[in-house]
Amino acid sequence: MGKAEYKVKDGKLIRVQLVKKENRIEKVKITGDFFLHPEELIEELEQALAGRELDESNLAKSIRIVIEQKGATLLGASPEDFTRCIVMAGEKDD
Amino acid sequence: MTEKWRLLDTGLHNAFYNMALDEAIALARSRSLVPNTLRFFRWDPSAVSIGYFQSMEEEVDIQACKQRDIDYVRRRTGGGAVYHDRDGELTYSLLIGRDHRLISDDFQETYGTLCSGLTSGLKRLGIPAEFKPINDIIVAGKKISGNAQTRSMNVVHQHGTILREVDPTLMFTLLKVPNEKIRDKLIRSAEERVTSTNRYLRREVAFEELKEAFITGFEDAFNIELVPGEILEFEEKLSAQLKVEKYATRGWNFKR
Repeated sequence: MGKAEYKVKDGKLIRVQLVKKENRIEKVKITGDFFLHPEELIEELEQALAGRELDESNLAKSIRIVIEQKGATLLGASPEDFTRCIVMAGEKDD
Repeated sequence: MTEKWRLLDTGLHNAFYNMALDEAIALARSRSLVPNTLRFFRWDPSAVSIGYFQSMEEEVDIQACKQRDIDYVRRRTGGGAVYHDRDGELTYSLLIGRDHRLISDDFQETYGTLCSGLTSGLKRLGIPAEFKPINDIIVAGKKISGNAQTRSMNVVHQHGTILREVDPTLMFTLLKVPNEKIRDKLIRSAEERVTSTNRYLRREVAFEELKEAFITGFEDAFNIELVPGEILEFEEKLSAQLKVEKYATRGWNFKR
């Protein structure tokens, strides 16, 4: 399992725990002091990311789509910040 | 005629009841059983709360809490881990209908609007506080209040802290630090970044004085009248249920 921590400038702290398999996400947990409305979307987002390739631009796009489709709001972090932390955690899972 | 809101002062309760009652009021408000509500409360025993998205194991030193009989609970709102001292903090909650004039679609804007009630109260005490996005209130560059908001069932729920006394050493004994080497550094930096009503005013501010200032502060800022009210039986029963079935459970508190 890989762990990473990323502090968003003028924003919140993101922590990611990730298990990867052949450069794909097998399991991911995103924690931190950010705000996501509705809150329950975080579990859905984590599930939606399982099986995705650890590719920075595609991941950011996927996260953005999930958030927009649900009319959700992310405060204190962006989909790109989430992605960055996910990729960092992926690099540590060897 | 001035718009009337309900004022509740629920006093000292444990963390699980405190969080359960907030949610119960939100549901009562969503069913229009109660008007918009401002609630004051305190924590007995003292407790640590974590944000919805945080991990209990990552944020809280469970052993240190147990040794001191300090409770730990997950909030329904996002944001960070907070130590709620029994005698060092006044906590408030606002439960407001989604369609109210004070509520915007924009979360950041709504934080600003709702926090104006707090800055107005602090100013009455002689503390020139200002709102600092995303969700803090600061005075002379130091944090004096942290706030968190959620929305569900067409109700906006914002709760937050009003610091009366701060003890950064105790705070970083209960919250986990990345490693022991930086614990002292974190304590020193918190000493510089956080303040309280008592520290700023260099005197003891009684809870009654705090509440009075914030009641008028909210009334002025929101153009409302706060009328002391009661907890409905519906809210009491629901909160008892939510306490046992949700907030006091390991399943909820350790779910992330």
